This record gives sequence, C-alpha cells and structure tokens, in this order.
Amino acid sequence: MKDDVSATLGIYLCTGCGIHVAINADALQESICKAFPAATCRTHPALCSEQGTHTIWEDVRQNRLDKIVIGACSPRIHTDRFPADPTTIVERVNLREQVAWCQPPGTEDTRALAEDLMKMGITRVLASQAPLPYIPDNVSDTILIVGGGISGITAALEAARAGRQVLLVEKEAILGGRMNHLHQQIPFLQPYCSPVQPIIGDKVRELLAEERVTILTSAEIDHLSGQPGDFTVTIRQHGSLHTFRAGAIVMATGWKPYDPANLEHLGYGRLRSVITQPDLENCAREDHWDQLFPKNPVHGVLFIQCAGSRDPRHLPYCSNYCCATTLKQTTYLRKKYPGLPIYVIYKDLRTPGHLEQFYQHIQQDELLFMTKGDVTDITENGDVITVKADKTLFGESIVVDVDLVVLATGMVPSNTSELNLTYRQGKGLPDLKYGFPDSHFICFPYETRRTGIYAAGACRAPMDSASCMEDAGGAVLKAIQCIEAIKRGEAVHPRSGDRSWPELYMQRCTDCKRCTEECPFGAYDETPKGTPLPHPTRCRRCGICLGACPERIINFSDFSIDNVSAMIKAVGIPDEFEEKYRILAFVCENDAYPAFDMAGQKRLQYDPSVRIIPVRCIGSVNRIWITDALSRGFDGILLIGCRPGEDYQCHFIQGSELAQQRAENFKEALQTMMLEPERIRMEFIEITDCDKIPTLIRDYLETIKRIGPNPFKGI
Amino acid sequence: MEDVIQIKTDKRFIRQVKSLGGNPLKECMQCGACSVVCKLSPEENPFPRKEMLWASWGMKDKLIGDPDLWLCHQCGDCSATCPRGVQPATVLSALRHINYLEYASPRFLAVWLSKPVYLPLVVAIPALIILLILWMAGTVSVPDGPVDYSKLFPHPLLNGTFATLVILVLVAYWKGFRRFKRDIRKNQRAKIKGQKSKKNNQKRIRFFYQLKEILLHTQFRKCQTNRLRTLAHILVFSGFLLLLLVTLVAIVNVLFFEYPMNFWHPAKIAGNLGGLALVTGTMMMIWYRLFRKDAIGPSTYADWSFLIFLLLLAVSGILTEWARFGNWSAAYVIYFIHLVLVWIVIIYAPYSKFGHLLYRLAVLILLKDRR
Repeated sequence: MKDDVSATLGIYLCTGCGIHVAINADALQESICKAFPAATCRTHPALCSEQGTHTIWEDVRQNRLDKIVIGACSPRIHTDRFPADPTTIVERVNLREQVAWCQPPGTEDTRALAEDLMKMGITRVLASQAPLPYIPDNVSDTILIVGGGISGITAALEAARAGRQVLLVEKEAILGGRMNHLHQQIPFLQPYCSPVQPIIGDKVRELLAEERVTILTSAEIDHLSGQPGDFTVTIRQHGSLHTFRAGAIVMATGWKPYDPANLEHLGYGRLRSVITQPDLENCAREDHWDQLFPKNPVHGVLFIQCAGSRDPRHLPYCSNYCCATTLKQTTYLRKKYPGLPIYVIYKDLRTPGHLEQFYQHIQQDELLFMTKGDVTDITENGDVITVKADKTLFGESIVVDVDLVVLATGMVPSNTSELNLTYRQGKGLPDLKYGFPDSHFICFPYETRRTGIYAAGACRAPMDSASCMEDAGGAVLKAIQCIEAIKRGEAVHPRSGDRSWPELYMQRCTDCKRCTEECPFGAYDETPKGTPLPHPTRCRRCGICLGACPERIINFSDFSIDNVSAMIKAVGIPDEFEEKYRILAFVCENDAYPAFDMAGQKRLQYDPSVRIIPVRCIGSVNRIWITDALSRGFDGILLIGCRPGEDYQCHFIQGSELAQQRAENFKEALQTMMLEPERIRMEFIEITDCDKIPTLIRDYLETIKRIGPNPFKGI
Repeated sequence: MEDVIQIKTDKRFIRQVKSLGGNPLKECMQCGACSVVCKLSPEENPFPRKEMLWASWGMKDKLIGDPDLWLCHQCGDCSATCPRGVQPATVLSALRHINYLEYASPRFLAVWLSKPVYLPLVVAIPALIILLILWMAGTVSVPDGPVDYSKLFPHPLLNGTFATLVILVLVAYWKGFRRFKRDIRKNQRAKIKGQKSKKNNQKRIRFFYQLKEILLHTQFRKCQTNRLRTLAHILVFSGFLLLLLVTLVAIVNVLFFEYPMNFWHPAKIAGNLGGLALVTGTMMMIWYRLFRKDAIGPSTYADWSFLIFLLLLAVSGILTEWARFGNWSAAYVIYFIHLVLVWIVIIYAPYSKFGHLLYRLAVLILLKDRR
C-alpha cells in the first residue's frame, strides 16, 4: 500500500536562503528518501526560481505525481509559484523560517528538527486525499434583501446593476424606511455646508425602474431555511405565504430610536418641553412649530447630546449620527427663529469624515453656543426650563434658561430574529456586542455568524444614511462573492478558496450533539431523530467540529484525525536517557503560525525541541491527538491560538475559547492518569507577538524540565 | 464652593469682537492647541482657549479686565497652529481693543481712534489747538533767518503746554486705570482662590524683574512663528525709549544749558539712532502686516493707524532735523506736522493701540503668582 502511494510522491528540498548553511541537505535527502521511497526526490538551490518550479512541473507531468512535499520557505510565501492544481496535494514544509532562520547551523538538534518536519509533512500528505468539492445542485443566483430602507434599497440597486436577480422584502407598506420621516438630510456630498433634501425619494424611483428587482412590501419572513447558494425563504404577505429561493442574503433591517421613556433624569416625560430629535424632525417636516412653542420662544433651545448614549446604564456605545443630526436641526430652528440662541451640551462632538466641514459651517451661526458638559439637573419654572451642567469647558458649572430641550437619542439595532431562520441555533443572527450582529469586526465587517447572510447599514453598526449606502454596496459584493464561491465549491471566507469540507461518517455518530452546539456558524441542523444534519456551504472550514467530536467521525480530506495522528507518530522521540525533550505545539494558522514565521524572519532563536503542527483553528484540536502525543512520548503539549473572551481575536469566534475549555477538561483527565496537568499548556498570542515566542518556549521548557520527562517515553 | 455661571449670551459683544478682527471666532472647536503651543501661557488656567470660549459665547463680563489678555504678545504661534484657522492671536487683539474702549476715559476718544470716519477729527483737533497756542503766542508766521524752531514755538511754551497735556491725559488715564486695576485684582483673586497666598515681600525685586523682562523682551523672544516681528518690536521699543530719554535731556538742556545741541552731542547721536531704529522697526511691522497676513492674521484700522502715525512721527522728526541743518524753506511746516504727530501718538496713547504699553506694564506689575 505504502509503495503504491509513494509511487506518485515527489519530495523536494530547497537549499537556498540559508537552508544549506543550517543543515546538510544531501544527508537529509538521503535519510528521508530512504525512509520514504518516493518517485522523485531532489534538492535544488532555489526551488522558487523559474527553473526550480519548472523542474517540479516536469516531474508532475512525467511521473504523474499527485502528492508533492516541498521543504523550503514558509507555506505563506510564494503561494503562487508552486503547483496549485486541484488534483495535486502540495505540502510545504517550513525549513527556512522555522528551522534555518531560528536555529543554530549544523547542530544535531537542528538536523533532527528538519528531519522530523520533513517526515511529518510526508506522512501527512500520504494520509490525505485531494478534496472533492461540495457543490449544491442548482445554486440560486438571487440575492434576498431584507429591509427596504436606504441600506436595503441601495443594496438592491447595486445587486441589480451587477446583474443579479433581487428579491426585496419590506415590512411596511411603502419603501423608504426611516428616511421617510426626515425633513432634510445630513449633507453627504461636497461642499457639506448645509442640509440637503432627502435622497430617499430618488432612490425609490430608481429602484422601481430596475427590472431585476422583485419588491414585496407589507411582507415579513415567515421562515428561512437551507444554506448559502440554496436558501428557501417563505414570505407572509397579506395573510398568504409565498416561497422563493435565494443564494445569499443581505440583512438591512435598520434601527429604532432609543426609548426616551428611560431618560426621565433628562426631563423626558416629566417636563412638557423636553422632546427628542425625531420629535423635532417631525415638527420641522410638518411645519408644526406652534406645537413646540405655544408662545414665541425667547430664551433659546438646548440640545443634549448623548442622551442615553455612551452611558453604561443605557446604550454604552456612540450612535455616530446624533451629533450631525443636531447640527442639521439647528438650521431648521435658525431659519424659523433668526434671533433665538441655540445651545448644545455634548460629551464629545463627533462628526466623522467630511462632516467635520459641516460642523465648521454650522458653527458660524453667531447664536449657536456649544460646550462639553454633563447635564446634572433640569427643572421647569413656568415656561422656562433651567438646565444645569457640570464639567463644562468653562471649568465651572453653567446654568442656562431655555424654552425647549431636545434630546439626541441613539440608535438601537432592529431585532435580527425577524429573519426567522430555521437554524438549530436560533432564529436570528448571534450578536457580537450591544445587539449588533458581527462575526469579526476587524477582518470581516459585513460577515455575520451565519455564512451567506451579510448585514448592512444601521442594523450592523450605528451609522448615518451616507455610510449606510456605502455599507450596502460592500455587503452586496460579499453576497455575490459568496454565491460565486459556492458555485466553484470553495469556502467564502476566511479560508477563501478552500475546497475541502467536513465529511461525517454517520454510522458511528452517537448523537451527542456537540458539533451542532459548538459550531460557531450554525452549520449543523438536526434531523428529527437528533443526528446532525450538515449544511456544508454554511461551513467556514474551521474544523471546530472536528476538534469537538468524541467519536472522531468528522474529517476533511486534507485535515483529519488520521493525518494529524500520522504526523505526531512521525516525530522521532529521543529515548529517556538522552535528556532531550520534545514539545508538540498545535499552532493556529491564522495568527500564531505567521508569528512564528516572523520570529524566524527576525532571526530570533528558540529551543529546537518544539515540533509545530499548524491547525485551521486552535479549536480544531481533537483530544485524541493529545492522547496520541503523550503516549508517543512527547513531554509537553502547547496549544497556541488567538485571544478569547471580550475583544476576542479568534477568526472563528469561539475556537480559542472552546480549546481552552477542552484543555482544562483534559488537564483533569491527566491527573487521573497520574500525569502532571502542566503537560498541557494553552497560550494566546497575536500576529505581532513574535518577540514573545522565544520566552514563551523557554518558560514552558523550564516547567517541563521541572516536572521531568514523560514517564510513558519508550513504553 | 463650586462656581456656577448663569449663562447670558451677548450677541452685540460677539459682533464687536468679529468686527475688530476676530471674524472666524465662532469656528473654534476648543481643542486647546493654542494654549498648548503658547510659550507664554501659564500652566494653571492657560490662555487663549478659555478666552476663545468666552468670546464665542459673548461673555463680556469675563473678558473685560481679564489679565491674561495682556500676557499675550500676539506673536502668532497659536494662529499658526490652530487647526481651524481661527486665529486666536487676532481674537485676543480684538479683545484688548475692546478693553481700551472699556477703560478709556473719556471714552469717546477711544471710539474716535478706532474708526476711520473720525480720522479728520483726530488730526484736526491737535492741529487747531497747536495753531491756537501759536496764535495766542503771536508766532503764527514763517520766521526769517536761519531755521530756529524756538522762533515758531518758544521752548518754554512748548514744554509747558505739552507737559500740561501729558499730565491731563495721565489723570484721565488714571481714572480708567483704577477700574482696570480693580477688575484685574478681582479676576486674579478669583483665579488663585483656594491656593495658598504666598506672603509677598519681594515686591521690588519683582518689579525690577518685570522691567528687565520688558526691556529685554524675554517673553516676546519665545515667539516661534514671527521671529522678525520680535526684532521689529525691539527696534521700535528701544528707538522710542531712546527718543524719550533724549527728549528729557533736551528739556534739561533747554532749561539749564545750551540748546539746540551740536550734531555730535551724545544725546543727539542717541536721538538719531533712536529715530533710525523707530523707522526701521515700523517699516518692518508694516511689511509684516502687508505681506505676511498668513502669519499674523488680518489687520484692523487701529493696527494700521497706530503704525502709520508712528512711522510718520519718526520720519517727520528726522526731516525736521535735516530741515534745520539744511535751512530748508519748508522747515517750519515740517516741524508743525511733527508736533501734530507727537500729539496723535503720545497724547492719544491711552486711547489708541499705544495703550498696550500702559496696560501691559500695569498687568505685569500687578500680577502675582504668574509662575
């Protein structure tokens, strides 16, 4: 069997970039090729050169190689030089960054490290197959857009103009959403000096003229099932149900104002002349100023910014649009009452981007007075409201008499359970923070934790209408990308282009439900019997389910229980009398592995006893691998991933948290086996933490030396 | 106890500040960059940020008698730094102007000097009064023979009338100055309230320290943006001081010794040097105001009129001297014009921009815990 596989195996060793200085490549080639009789086994001074790649291609063609192991630089480098044919598996062994550049040249330990890494790479390839991509039948090209406000309409227009079919669902009887209530809009084009007519009317007209868009108003989603590329949405409209198909979804359900009933301390509900920004907007739109001012106002109007925002008792965040809205509304008042003083008390006046120019223009109003401050007291005395504020720019408290107080209230995202997903993990999109759906803000702003469903506009993060329009464009592009990737049988993100997917050996499933519960993306539903029902296009290929499964029935064609176990077994363990330790490190490919590469690039030196196995996510480490490693004789096991918890860095949201939990459980199990819990250590590093790596390894090695070698060594 | 301000905004005051050169005043966003960059601003309660806020809120009460206005030398570092182009230096200049108007006594003189429409009046008054004195002395005619100015304006009469006028003006100034002093003291107390008041037995030392500071421009020289302007001010200031001393020597000479003095008399040399310094300095300042608007901001009528009168004063003084040595026929007319300019610059001092000499000196001496 082994010989059959080896017949299509090619092994290449690059000796460039200092590798030949660190190790004797010829000796390595000889010992490797003796252990693995491959069809081709070569060394080359620069494999990445045209001549080098040509050599590999020639071998692939002539010897029909389908498994290639390249011992050279990091797999993160020259990704476009080496064969990327879907039927060929290429394993890159990191002999440069993680051996030659971080170890002393010519030593026995360096040689052993290089040999182990080569053997691990080769055994992994031998235990892998080229993936057969999963492509659902009849992938739908339609994009479903939920919400017909400015974000939804812009998204629909953008999608239609990109040639996609669009289905737009709006809850209300008319399109336009919250922008229909505006008198004027915050400027969004040069010269940003005064408010403009709301753009929404034009946008609705444009949308109605688009042929590719189907609009359903007064409609709600009854339920939504399926997976990216193949969603089925059932819509309730005027009491009857209609079913449609969609490939991807843009969620643009918008926001609602923070409930001012909670703001009694600012006088709302308690004092007659305390209103909110939406109230003032309505008055301006309908020109009903006498409702606000029974008598002609003489004292002034005062705006309180951050009314219930950036306040842990109310909304802890900044809603981004209220400051500019106040500036806009001062122009309404100024037009109507030229001599009326207008006061603004803010925490910070935030006018992002070009709105700075708007701020500067509005400030030119002689009777507009603004200061930082905390409003501490609001009282009414006849027609006059007296507002007291502390911590002002004056360095003293101030007291202002006014006729009207306007509260700038923040945005609350709409409830995403309106999507009515039939996912096992719930009807809506999981929150990141404060009720806003998000999966990894820094890297993937539009991605929610439901693959194929992209959030846009104020339901994703607080923003003004101009930002909503921009956001809608971005989300639509992601939706289109998603559909196209699914048609090719590839993962969308973050492992874009990955053709492997989790395959379950259902006969051995015990219905323990760990995979269905722990998948951060809700990729598994359940059959009526309770067994997992995978939806491969919902999957992000993180392998967290692989790490969770106690029966080890979940595997990817190129990342499986078997191939990692084979790698572990490929490492030569020095016997107990040699006093040489071996540490196995499972390293997250997203941040920790590049950090190791950077340590090499900086020529930081660290102990040669570590053997690295890159994993898709630290959450994909299965318990059996730890058992295998310990019984094989490794003295300690490092799990290195991204930071969990609040402000997590994990690219798969929960991976590092789950790994930590599992490591803790396993430490308990170790004690029952009379092994020290220190034999497993979890570490969290960021991509920029390469400087910490040598210390991290030294510290752990010292711990291991203190507790002594693994007693199972040599058994 | 905490201070509470009852807000009362004054639109007229805001307009006044804007009209006197502080036009972009309202666009201040209170970032405080001006106070950070200012080398002269104290650590506690720094200016000009707070002045910008008070001014944009029209809080006149806070700004009349605000001592910090006089610590500013309008070097322009703040205006060069301001991210909003608000020009705090110019705003403070406008506020100082409002203070001249506020404390001037009689007030109408300050108003006349701040508006171009009153220019004919401002010139005509000294011209007519001097003519009146000459008419009373019976010397309103161009005398014959070599040029001798005492033939036109006998020295006792000149010294007597001008000294009387100076004393009258000082009395008038004193009236406003007492109010100014009271306000400064009040604001100063408010500022250092709560701090331990140090017993101050070094009044004299402080006085001399301040005098040294003024003479050597130690504060002014901290300016980064307009270094040449500091030089110009040193020239004008020292030239003026020299001329003032020479005038005193001349009066003493007239009373006790020989007059007019020989060209190589030390006092004469000093006077000529002073005149040159004054001309060079004022020309530099005029150049600055004309071509470096970006660095020092817009100039108002008060800025220009004071500067031009000062230049004309110096030029006419030099011409008067040349006319005497050269026996020019126009000598007496030039001398007359020079006398009118002396009046405009010196007698009007408390009402014009020249008042900064008096007010700033007063504040520097009055202020206690400056450091």
